[in-house]
Amino acid sequence: MSIEINGLTKHYGATRAVDGISLTLPDEVQVLVLIGPSGGGKSTLLRLLGGLELPTSGRIRMNGTDLPDTEEGLREFRRRNGFLFQSFNLFPHLSALENIVLPLVKVHRWTRDAAITRADEVVARFGMAGHVKKMPAELSGGQQQRIALARAMAHGPDLLLLDEPTSALDPEMKAEVLDIVAELCEAGQRIILSTHEMGFARGCADEVVFLGNGQLVESGRGAALFDSPQTEVVRTFLGRVMKW
Amino acid sequence: MKQAVSILVSVILASSFCFVIWVVATHDYRWEAIAPYRGNLISGWWMTLLISAASLAGSVAIGVLLTAGQLSGHAVPTFLCRVFVEVIRGTPLLTQILIGYYLIANSIGWDSRIGVGIVILSCFSGAYLSEIFRGGVESIPKSQWLSARAIGFTGAQTYRHVVIPQAIRRVLPASAGQFANLIKDSSLLFVISVHEFTMQAREANSNTYATFEAYLPLILGYFLLTFPISLLSRHLENRFRYEH
Repeated sequence: MSIEINGLTKHYGATRAVDGISLTLPDEVQVLVLIGPSGGGKSTLLRLLGGLELPTSGRIRMNGTDLPDTEEGLREFRRRNGFLFQSFNLFPHLSALENIVLPLVKVHRWTRDAAITRADEVVARFGMAGHVKKMPAELSGGQQQRIALARAMAHGPDLLLLDEPTSALDPEMKAEVLDIVAELCEAGQRIILSTHEMGFARGCADEVVFLGNGQLVESGRGAALFDSPQTEVVRTFLGRVMKW
Repeated sequence: MKQAVSILVSVILASSFCFVIWVVATHDYRWEAIAPYRGNLISGWWMTLLISAASLAGSVAIGVLLTAGQLSGHAVPTFLCRVFVEVIRGTPLLTQILIGYYLIANSIGWDSRIGVGIVILSCFSGAYLSEIFRGGVESIPKSQWLSARAIGFTGAQTYRHVVIPQAIRRVLPASAGQFANLIKDSSLLFVISVHEFTMQAREANSNTYATFEAYLPLILGYFLLTFPISLLSRHLENRFRYEH
């Protein structure tokens, strides 16, 4: 995917969550990873890229087209993408299966039968076939996150946006989810991911962007940013998070 | 210790209950004095049932409208609904009935006491219900709204498939309480001479001075109206339960 970001800002009142980011990524970038300290602007940039928020100023061009600047336009854009959040955002009143089927039927206008067939397929791929009838509250965190990922993937999104998908999970469940994300990366899915899992970021990313204080501090190809960081901020950050 | 407390509480409650029953049951009643008024009491009960049922439907409709107005995100309807709710909740129902019938309804030439009574009760109870509904909608976590947005749901779809199904269960107990209040509040329509249940008891009393004999049937009569609502609410709560 090619991405061009120009002078992008997003302010919430006096808080400058994204504060003037410009970045050009060539077509061959398939997996973009956002890293950096909490509160640095990763989530906000991800939401802007995914069309969940309108920027305060600046523009984003993706694959040669500007992102829409109306709510209706953005909704159409979001429908082509898939989103996964840090906390488990399944709908608690619907079974795992219904969580996947509902958007396919209501948003993507599939027939119910086709949606169920597709949901079974994705769920089986993510190793959750035995759990489709369960309610979210009956699933572990890792299982919930796998169902949420199945929901985000079921309609075959152009782009998958993952906002710290493993931050709320214990190590074993992290691995369950990261295995699946790694598999999706290998299968050629376009992904933008924010994460604190540096090992994972290094292994999967085509391009890594480091954000701090709402600004782009440094960006680099694949493992390059981890192997030879150019700025003191990134060096210090990586030194700290890699220490343990 | 815990067991001792629960035994003590049970004994106190059970003995108080028995005491009350004993006092009420052993009173020397003159049932024959109010026997001629039996027909009036029964017709009053039906009148209360009619008024309550109509006001219950009306108050739900008004409650939903007021909630929608307050959550519309537009300043004018939000403000107007807010003012309506505050005025209705902050002033005595008795006064509202008097003003509603003798001033407002009179000035537009509407003289159906029952009709006006139903409208006023619907407004009164609707104001309370709207606060219950608004609380229910606002108690749905932000993450659910975000999730629905990310999936590409429209605002209406978000309410229909995500917010309302979860909010219903949360507002049921408080709404059932409000319905019971509505049924009992309908007795205030005596000020505009609606011949409902309490009014009939009042008349029977003033003609016979058999106070307890006239008013005791109210206990049974109102309980017959409120208890089914309580049961229905429990039943619906279980139906909408999703945590397991």
